[in-house]
Amino acid sequence: MASDDPFDLDLAWTPVSTRLAAARLTVLACWLVPLIAGGVLLAALTGVVGLWAIPAVLVALGGWVTWLVPRQVAAMRYAEREDDLLIRRGIMFRSLVVVPYGRMQYVDVSAGPLDRRFGIAKVQLHTAASSTDATISGLPPAEAARLRDRLASRGEARLAGL
Amino acid sequence: MSQPAPVVPELAGEDGYAWQRMHPVTPLLKGWKIVAAVLVVGFAQAGDDLRQAAELLGGSGWLVALGVLAAVALVGVVWSLIAWRATRFAVTDDAVHLRQGVVFRQQRQARLDRIQAVDVVQPLLARLVGLAELRLEVAGGSGSRVSLAFLREPEALALRAELLALAAGIRRPAAAPVAATAAGAAPAVPLEPVAAPAPAFETAPERVVYEVPMPRLLMSIALSGGTVSLVLVGVGIAVASALGAPIEATFSVLPMVFGLVGLFWTRLNGAATFRAATSPDGIRLRHGLTEARSQTLPPGRIQAVSISRPLLWARKDWWRVHVNVAGYAGEGSQRETETVLHPVATREEAMTALWLVLPDLGVDDPVAALTAGLDGVGDEGGYTAAPRRARWVDPVGWRRHGVLVTERALLLRRGRFWRRLDVVPHERTQSLGMAQGPIQRWLRVASVVAHSTPGPVAPRVEHLDQAVAARLLDEQAARARQARRSAGPEQWMKGS
Repeated sequence: MASDDPFDLDLAWTPVSTRLAAARLTVLACWLVPLIAGGVLLAALTGVVGLWAIPAVLVALGGWVTWLVPRQVAAMRYAEREDDLLIRRGIMFRSLVVVPYGRMQYVDVSAGPLDRRFGIAKVQLHTAASSTDATISGLPPAEAARLRDRLASRGEARLAGL
Repeated sequence: MSQPAPVVPELAGEDGYAWQRMHPVTPLLKGWKIVAAVLVVGFAQAGDDLRQAAELLGGSGWLVALGVLAAVALVGVVWSLIAWRATRFAVTDDAVHLRQGVVFRQQRQARLDRIQAVDVVQPLLARLVGLAELRLEVAGGSGSRVSLAFLREPEALALRAELLALAAGIRRPAAAPVAATAAGAAPAVPLEPVAAPAPAFETAPERVVYEVPMPRLLMSIALSGGTVSLVLVGVGIAVASALGAPIEATFSVLPMVFGLVGLFWTRLNGAATFRAATSPDGIRLRHGLTEARSQTLPPGRIQAVSISRPLLWARKDWWRVHVNVAGYAGEGSQRETETVLHPVATREEAMTALWLVLPDLGVDDPVAALTAGLDGVGDEGGYTAAPRRARWVDPVGWRRHGVLVTERALLLRRGRFWRRLDVVPHERTQSLGMAQGPIQRWLRVASVVAHSTPGPVAPRVEHLDQAVAARLLDEQAARARQARRSAGPEQWMKGS
């Protein structure tokens, strides 16, 4: 990353696991593959040439998503500082959130069945502001647990009311 | 004149708390609410189709309707009576306990040092019989408040004084029984002669800072978007009937007209007789026409302030002041009346309102800083403004986007026609965000958001130069940390 990037802040950013991309693509495949199959079947059975456009568009969409999702996942990073946690994401629409440890009200760690299969978990930080969107998806479970404990202990050390 | 509510004898020993019941008239007042709800639903349905409703009510229909209503009232009152029997509360040195529920029992305990606001609310009927509801707002989101309804008005006020004193960190005089002090009688034995204010829990003295004159309030409601739509509807009907449309067509807009009138009424009712005062317990707001409401916001509980001016108020130079308080996260319509610090302020009053929240803005000339925030463009008044290239994303208001960092607060301004200035004290910043879309990226600008607790104020500044935005984000995080360290204690009378 170039240092003139305003979102970089000269920090050592940790990327999330690339398995998150695999997990997200699997979910998408579960939707797209049956739809494409259905489209192909429909076009083949009716014999209307124009109907082939449906599976074609879906395949193109799948290709675009397959290209996009790994890039999006690669852009998700987080950095721990002495007093706060920073989370950034996005390529086209970039965002950066700074959450002070002392402001955390609670931390959620969650993992769905698919996440568990891929060996990833999601850590979500909650402050008193509902607009704080501080979620780190795609952490290896050990790292998620370490981060949770670290956040909890840091939060306690820097506890402030509201 | 006030007798404290009788301590329920059979419960006095349980948990060691002195459990008390609400006033026995409570079931009647709460039962009435159910009837009112049925009536409102009925009218709303009838409003949709007036003719059919009129047919239904013709002849013996009236009697049936009245009978149904009486039955509903009876059920409501009986249900409220059962609920009242199961409801009791107790106050200890550091918490309020509330027990309620018939089928599903609930015992809620609210820590006094976590109280965000204490309100005394008197709906019309309660006011007529001299009762009041005491509401303790805690920062637990929607539905987290502790509501003690209903108590005798003097009792509610005494209890409020007691809770605020305890929350402020003033200790209860050791020997004096709760009941005696709550009733306002001075404790017989003089304890700690100097430290505590003599009769421990007397209501803190207050000084009125501003009041809203009725003519101005009425004028401000007349100058609102609702009036514009009402006039448009009127013109529409006139034109339609001139063109020969059947008169029945006008009925279709009736619900909308009712809605608008309801909106006007809500505004008027909530903001009428608005009065703000300062007291050692924090800011006191009193307002309401039929429903009287007296809010107390202890020091440091206001998370953010916004001063805004709608387009139609520009000529009068009137401003509306909103606040974010963590406890008022609740339901829509109440949020509208509870989070108002000033419903319609002159420029000076708006600044005074802000002064109530932040006595020290952290600049040498606060009036100049605020004036630049309300009217200024570019870098007037020391603001860091959006660069000229931001006009490609906001051709109308790009000059207004700006931010000023003082020693105590972050001032964010925006809007050319709908002007707005948000103020966030540094120690109240929750988290910070920065965002950049593709066009912003091309223009090398970014937006910065200061996340605040749920409420009407959402502080953000758009289209700053991206390097400036990044630096603001970084430095603000450090400033917020610094300010929190030196911030006053949660118990505001304890001294830092």
